[in-house]
Amino acid sequence: MMRRAVTLLVAAAILLVAAAVFIALGLYNVAATEQHTRPVYALIEATMRQAIRFHSRDIVAPPLDDAARVRSGRSLYALNCVRCHGAPGIAPESFALGMTPSPANLAYAAREWPAPQLFWTLKRGLKMTGMPAWEFRLADSQLWDIVAYLQAMPGESPRDYRAAISETERQTDQAVVQPASQPPAGADPKRGIVALRQYGCATCHRIPGVVGADTPVGPTLDHLARRSFIAGVLPNDEQGLMLWVQSPQKLHPGSAMPDLAVTQRDARDMAAYLQTLQ
Amino acid sequence: MISRDDGLKRARCAGAAFLLAVMSAACSTGARPPPPEGDAARGRELLHQYGCGYCHTIPGVHAARGNIGPPLDDVGRRVYIAGSLPNTPQQMALWIRFPQTYRPGTAMPDLHVRADDARDMVAQLYRLR
Repeated sequence: MMRRAVTLLVAAAILLVAAAVFIALGLYNVAATEQHTRPVYALIEATMRQAIRFHSRDIVAPPLDDAARVRSGRSLYALNCVRCHGAPGIAPESFALGMTPSPANLAYAAREWPAPQLFWTLKRGLKMTGMPAWEFRLADSQLWDIVAYLQAMPGESPRDYRAAISETERQTDQAVVQPASQPPAGADPKRGIVALRQYGCATCHRIPGVVGADTPVGPTLDHLARRSFIAGVLPNDEQGLMLWVQSPQKLHPGSAMPDLAVTQRDARDMAAYLQTLQ
Repeated sequence: MISRDDGLKRARCAGAAFLLAVMSAACSTGARPPPPEGDAARGRELLHQYGCGYCHTIPGVHAARGNIGPPLDDVGRRVYIAGSLPNTPQQMALWIRFPQTYRPGTAMPDLHVRADDARDMVAQLYRLR
């Protein structure tokens, strides 16, 4: 009995020292370009979901099915949220695409999460995700307006959204700085995975090899390489894939997939990776 | 009752085995719309009869392993269908009946699906989550 306790203590001590050495040497890579492993992501996500559920348990939602609320919420969303989260057919701004975790596409969460949980998340923010607390920036009634809009958002087509948002509220800063360096000659599927993450593709599509939330806003890209057509009309080859990821709005005006100013090199690397998904 | 697909989804969701309990709770969500009206069993047979499986992989439908269009694994959870239509049972039924009207030139053909047939197909497709 005594011996077993000692063994356990020694094992625990060794683990602690190993963890301390791992941290002290700086071996954990905090780069935003390094994705979480699947188990770590699942652990973090479960922690977040359960915490939100628990802490929002006493919140009671006011009536939200109200056109005026939705309209006000849409304006507030366009002013405060769209830069990171995008909107139907509108991409997040370039800085947000570089974040890890990627700001979620809210059309999915809005449909799946109860209103009090959305409200709590808006109000209190989420530590270590980049989601700010809006408690000291917006009034509760305004936060509920946003929740009302979020719940209406999945039913709103990209065309409806654009029509409803006035010109001044519309996000204009879509400029992405194009890297000046000459792209290398061959396509690089490994770099393609990083590019797919950095353009936020996994916030709408399930992509094998990219760890992210399971939010099927658009179709899954499982086995994409086996598919004959993409986007309903284009042949599934390097040219077709590159065309589509670079100009979805030109090819399908009103598509929920936004133009993301994908560079030629990034599009080619994405296509190279997508073509490996047998 | 838990369908095979729900089971798969949960298994995937679990990630690390020791998280199973927490994760199955985390994956069950609150405010989903109620399942649409219609005869899902008949819908499954119709998805076979209209040949949807030539182009789409559809879990539960006999021999539906096509790869012309996207797989319909989780089409009941999808936010948009056909690239730009908000995914509601009504919209999905209209899309099934009139794809060439909504997106002229799409690879998906008009199959002259009757309204009640489309409704039953939708009832089945909404079970895919």
